[in-house]
Amino acid sequence: MALDPALERYSRQILFREIGEAGQRKICGSRVLLCGCGALGSVLADGLTRAGVGFLRIVDRDFVELSNLQRQVLFDEADVAEGLPKAVAAGRKLARINSQVQLEPLVADIHSQNILGFADGVDLIVDGMDNFETRFLINDTSLATGTPWIYGGCIGSHGQTMTIFPGETACLRCLIEAPPGAGAAETCDTAGILAPVINVIASLQIVAALKILSGHRDQIDPALTIVDVWDGTLRKMNTRNLRDQGRCPACVGGVREWLAGTRGSQTTVLCGRNAVQVSPAERAPVSLSDLADKLRGVGEVAVNPFLLRLTVNSGEFIITVFPDGRAIIKGTQEPAVARGLYARYVGS
Amino acid sequence: MKQTVKLFARAKDLAGTDALEVELAPAARVVDLRSGLAKVCPSLNILLPSLLIAVNNEYASDDSRLPENAEVACFPPVSGG
Repeated sequence: MALDPALERYSRQILFREIGEAGQRKICGSRVLLCGCGALGSVLADGLTRAGVGFLRIVDRDFVELSNLQRQVLFDEADVAEGLPKAVAAGRKLARINSQVQLEPLVADIHSQNILGFADGVDLIVDGMDNFETRFLINDTSLATGTPWIYGGCIGSHGQTMTIFPGETACLRCLIEAPPGAGAAETCDTAGILAPVINVIASLQIVAALKILSGHRDQIDPALTIVDVWDGTLRKMNTRNLRDQGRCPACVGGVREWLAGTRGSQTTVLCGRNAVQVSPAERAPVSLSDLADKLRGVGEVAVNPFLLRLTVNSGEFIITVFPDGRAIIKGTQEPAVARGLYARYVGS
Repeated sequence: MKQTVKLFARAKDLAGTDALEVELAPAARVVDLRSGLAKVCPSLNILLPSLLIAVNNEYASDDSRLPENAEVACFPPVSGG
């Protein structure tokens, strides 16, 4: 029987036995929220658009920069020259790739007050974020709305991914009680990142998404998959029994601290100073000398026992970090920009 | 008993090696392994509270017992992307 002309472009995917025409129709009828459109996000957005999801909402707070192009495959030098927001640049490219997909690119900082709106009416949330804080917020949102989500994170040559079915499998908080304190986690801007690990992790996330959206969620193992592309290793850590231990305050206890806004970083615009103060979610002492070591390749660093000062983008931003993890970001009055810089250089 | 612990990602970088040996009493638990790691490699301290520990490829909570001849691997959760 001839294929429906509207599905012709997906013929090779339909030939794959597990998808078939019925699975493709489900994918074409699905609605997906992509949080973050940097490195993971651009591979995810490209894959989901080509695979033919019905609707893709892309939320990102950042702008395209030259140092993104090494791994953020949707963007090019023209986007840098235009100074385009990533969501906008991604939306333009994706519309040329597959006009059948309804795209909704949104330039926004995801926080506890707006995430339920972004997640409204979607079948799946896919993680392309660059910080733990937003991931804990996505986790709470998934639990509150019953929407599955697919975690993915990368650093250096290493990456991890896990699919969360709220109320059924272990959630992010079952696995990690709290995000590492400020400065304890490395970021792509301090430790670097190899593009291939992004492609591997995002590809595994896309496979999980296709299983869920085509009606094969039972074929997803409850496990954290751990990849190192430099070592050439792929391991799975089984999480089948983790939720049953019944200790998770979020998925078993029903506590939604991140979504309620009682846990999370706080920003304060410092009027008249062109600066924003960021107070991290986890109040833990920061070793300024260790942080200075991490940041020396990033920009100009000055450190004394009371504060660390990092100057980036030829003086456009001055980030002053205090030993309690708090930072004052000078050069912006936008909380979203300040939170983005904090996530990149201090880590959140 | 001597327990070999494989280290990945930043745990490997901070320790400067991809495996450490920790001396443990018989019937030790994962929490003992965590404190043993802190003793043999203090540079891991910053990561230890959030370090994920897999025993024979299963997630292991702090009160899980370590079986003999277990394969133990440690991963810090990663947030980049």
